[in-house]
Amino acid sequence: MCLAIPMQIASINGSRAVCSIKGIEREVSLFLLQDEPIGIGDYVLIHVGYAIQKISAEEARSTWELLDQMLTEDAQHA
Amino acid sequence: MALDDARQWLDKIRALPLTSPVRIMNVCGGHERSISMAGLRSALPDMIDLIPGPGCPVCVCPEEDIYQAIQIGLNEPDSIVVAFGDMLRVPVNVSSKSVRSLEQAKAAGADIRPIASPSEAVRIAKSEPGKTVVFFVAGFETTCAPVAGMLAEGIPDNLLLLMSGRLTWPAVAMLLDYETPSFDALIAPGHVSTVMGPEEWQFVVDRHGFPAAIAGFTPDSLLAAIYSVLRQKLDGRIFLDNCYQQVVKPHGNPTARRLIESTLTIVDAPWRGIGIIPASGLELRADYAQHNARLRFPVHAENARKNAGAMPPGCDCARVVLGRIKPVDCKLYGVSCTPRSPVGPCMVSDEGACRIWWSSGIRTRSAEHEETTCT
Repeated sequence: MCLAIPMQIASINGSRAVCSIKGIEREVSLFLLQDEPIGIGDYVLIHVGYAIQKISAEEARSTWELLDQMLTEDAQHA
Repeated sequence: MALDDARQWLDKIRALPLTSPVRIMNVCGGHERSISMAGLRSALPDMIDLIPGPGCPVCVCPEEDIYQAIQIGLNEPDSIVVAFGDMLRVPVNVSSKSVRSLEQAKAAGADIRPIASPSEAVRIAKSEPGKTVVFFVAGFETTCAPVAGMLAEGIPDNLLLLMSGRLTWPAVAMLLDYETPSFDALIAPGHVSTVMGPEEWQFVVDRHGFPAAIAGFTPDSLLAAIYSVLRQKLDGRIFLDNCYQQVVKPHGNPTARRLIESTLTIVDAPWRGIGIIPASGLELRADYAQHNARLRFPVHAENARKNAGAMPPGCDCARVVLGRIKPVDCKLYGVSCTPRSPVGPCMVSDEGACRIWWSSGIRTRSAEHEETTCT
């Protein structure tokens, strides 16, 4: 539950944003980053629908690789 | 690239002149998952023992709270109980003929809904104004921050919270205060620290003189942290290392911390099968009393209920959570307790060590070191 996933911000409307990862879109809250300069194209770590930190594109990529690997292995042992 | 980095860290660790065993504890289900999936245990020298510790909020959520959530769903008219998916399958200690989990309460006709975000709780409450929606929250700091955000943004009158929020560091402090701690060094949790800041773990070094490093979730970040604590131990130079600097900033997320402070209060709190840990719980502040499900509903505690608050009979989850035994050491592991029909919470939750080991293919003690390796 404490594993947050990186997504990229596609659009912003007040404290809500639409974020995407590999073609999947989710509405998320930017409320916990209200004091940070944040814009479209930025990468954020999402946990239970809330962005908890801004991150770099490189950091986002390395976590995606890890998640891909975990999902594959999970499916193998399900 | 990350894989090359991981290999380099492995080589560096293998080259260390270790002369005695070192037990390194992690306190995060996400870390344990990465360690098990990447097969780090088998890749590392035998002298290094990686121990999963208290890293699963579902596993330590008080049995009484789950029982209370079930009873609210079954008995309170016009109620809807919402909870993160993991919580729905955790069994409480009642006879097999009674309703044993939120999932069974749902089958028995109660309105119980799994949610993935606090925003969903708000949305359900708004769309069902005639109902009382009870959001049952089990979670560590990372999850409590979004809950605090939800509260601060404003919630509808018909949304109540049953809070079982927990802080991770007091559990580690308790383990370190034991006469014989079950570990020698700590890998501190990455996303808890993202919210709370690395400073929360400074006590491990300052008060106890234990090596500590904050890690991210990729194998290379975890291996960097493992290398750091081993090196600290060998050099006798102990400090709090941050191997996840890209994400874990000094003071964490100050906005999230401010919101937690303004909506939640720290209380002494029970951990399932472990007991009360002082100042380890997050509960609603008095200003939110009208949203506190504990104050709204009677406590459904039947004195006659056997084993209230305990782990299920025969289940060794408590010692697994404390890092005293490994999942495979529990007599029920893989016998009567599997992900399909879990007995204890550690086999239910995606963050429970038993569930993670089982999904990584570990079936017996000897297989602990036979996972597929990343080398």
